[in-house]
Amino acid sequence: MKKAVLLCIMFILLFISLFPMLSMFYTSVIPSGTLTKVVKERYINDFETKYASYLKRKVKGDSISLRNESPSSTTSLAVNGRVELLTDKLDVRVAKYIEFWVKGSGSFSAEIIDAFGGKYAENFTAQPEWKKFTIKQNEIKDIDLRYISKLAFDFEGGKEFLLDDVKLVYRFPTLLNYVNVLKEDMFSRYILNSLIVSVIVVVGNLIFSTMVGYAFARRRFWGKKILFSLVLSTMMIPTQVTIIPVFMLMKQFGWIDTYLALTIPMLVTPFNIFLLKQYVEQLPVELEEAAYVDGASTLQIVFKIIFPLSKPSLAVMGINTFISTWNDLFYPLVVTNSREMRTAQVGLAMYQKLNQIDWPRLMAASSIIGLPVIIMFLIFQKQIISGVTKGAVKG
Amino acid sequence: MGKKRKIKYNFETLLLLSPFLIIFLIFGAFPIIFSFFISFTDYSGLSPKFNLVGLTNYIHAFKDSIFLTALKNTFIFVIGTIPFTTVFALLLALIINSRFLPLKDVFKAGFFLPSVISTVVISTMWMYLYSADGFFNKMVELFGSQPLPTSWLAHVKTALLSIMIMDVWAAVGYYTILFLAGLQSIPEELYEAARIDGAGRKALFSKITMPLLKPTLYFVIAINTIRSFQIFSEVFTMTGGGPMNSTQTIVHYLYIVGFRNFEMGYASAIGYILVFIVLIITLIQGRLLRSEVI
Repeated sequence: MKKAVLLCIMFILLFISLFPMLSMFYTSVIPSGTLTKVVKERYINDFETKYASYLKRKVKGDSISLRNESPSSTTSLAVNGRVELLTDKLDVRVAKYIEFWVKGSGSFSAEIIDAFGGKYAENFTAQPEWKKFTIKQNEIKDIDLRYISKLAFDFEGGKEFLLDDVKLVYRFPTLLNYVNVLKEDMFSRYILNSLIVSVIVVVGNLIFSTMVGYAFARRRFWGKKILFSLVLSTMMIPTQVTIIPVFMLMKQFGWIDTYLALTIPMLVTPFNIFLLKQYVEQLPVELEEAAYVDGASTLQIVFKIIFPLSKPSLAVMGINTFISTWNDLFYPLVVTNSREMRTAQVGLAMYQKLNQIDWPRLMAASSIIGLPVIIMFLIFQKQIISGVTKGAVKG
Repeated sequence: MGKKRKIKYNFETLLLLSPFLIIFLIFGAFPIIFSFFISFTDYSGLSPKFNLVGLTNYIHAFKDSIFLTALKNTFIFVIGTIPFTTVFALLLALIINSRFLPLKDVFKAGFFLPSVISTVVISTMWMYLYSADGFFNKMVELFGSQPLPTSWLAHVKTALLSIMIMDVWAAVGYYTILFLAGLQSIPEELYEAARIDGAGRKALFSKITMPLLKPTLYFVIAINTIRSFQIFSEVFTMTGGGPMNSTQTIVHYLYIVGFRNFEMGYASAIGYILVFIVLIITLIQGRLLRSEVI
């Protein structure tokens, strides 16, 4: 009983804790609207207007009039011959199909025309009573789906047809938001930058921290204690204090807006040195001594003996370094200028300042930036959590 | 050891240390000293010329109304979030550590997950929840109150509070894990011995758990204080310091002063004021927590 209540409470708390993330992922796959109001369809025209002038702006045809009957509401459009519905650069990629209702007897064709004059047509046969027709989006060929400027209906001559409820039915769930964000908003570039930077920084830390950690753990040298306490004390100094001279240095070196600026200062960090030193100190010294007697050089000892032995610690370090590099905003924000060199975090922070109305798209963008670390966390939970208890993931 | 071998030995040590020494000297030690120096100049960052201006930047900071607002907001943020984060994290850790709870690993991982996600991503999803047609406004409407006409982040009264609520949510899991590690380091034998002596649950908690958890508690509060004083990404992403500087914080203002207004001398002074404040506060905390006051 007690167990069940406790479990219930914890699941509710867990849900609250994960709710913002779940709502982000959910919103990223809705075609339009928000969490509480998902828009699943969009009317191109339902002809529910009393104003002929309004109709004239949206609908072009030689012989058209409004009629008081409809499959869903009150009025529909009566057409003789051809009618064109202007759609003003409609993006139909997000649509599953285009739907419309027709009443009349005879055949007709529906045409989809893009802004560049491309045309796709399909033939239908209408019935004397109202019937729903659809054009599937994935069957539409040879036109630019992003910019549809009009829909045209060519009805068999001499007869009157009724047309109503022309609408787009959206695909739900859709991955289009992700496609848009990656293709049109340079997010693939931001992610590539972040990947390059994070991988270089991780590799640098793996190699250099082993070297330096080993030196601090095993070698005797002058000023070792002072140097090590200096290392520890710089851990306490926040980036914000050093950022201005670092920025000036980068400017002097001409490294602003390059991978050099984004990686070099991060290649070996005090915290990782500390981690490796602690680990190497508790390794048995006999193996090194044996290797030394066999004539191995210092570098061989470091990379052939210490490095493999430190694997558990290096794994924790590598994963946590990757995550903190991937997640960093302040430093890359300062040392990059151009869009091309932005990292994922900088890209997202800048992007959301411009795109606060299109929530599904913005949520797709933030999902893409969040997913790599979420996936890493799901795989490497143990290492990440043990890294936390040894120090800190977030700076 | 022969002289030659000694030279070789020292040379190799230097070789091992060199990547660190070079990076540390150039990007670690030098900037710390140099930024202290330029905090006494009117260096702009645009032209290489500068004049020594003494303490002007430091004096200016305490006359600058935006800096004072930033200072006030940062203190409100720190004082308003840390107690909640600490208490929630401690409670969660105690529940997860309890013998009655199954699926411990699931909860551990689930609550920790928000801590690995970047602040920018977290801020973006919370901006969505806080927006005019977002989740929080819908909840307010559901309970019969008048929702805010715009985003919660666009109001002087609610903006900072909104960021604080988000921060508590985002930080709790991380400190839960730290508390859990602290709890698990308390030897089980202590509890057993106390139980044999007839100690009740309350006594176990106040006489064993709390005293032995004190170092963890101190560590949690100290790193949370240091981290909270440096709040930047949330503000940069969500509000840019607005509306009307109601969410301006020290580090965000440092960024604006240094990289938007190009007053790098002044920005460096702000950086050192921050270090000084954090140093003093962590020292006071250390004293308080080590004494028997709490």
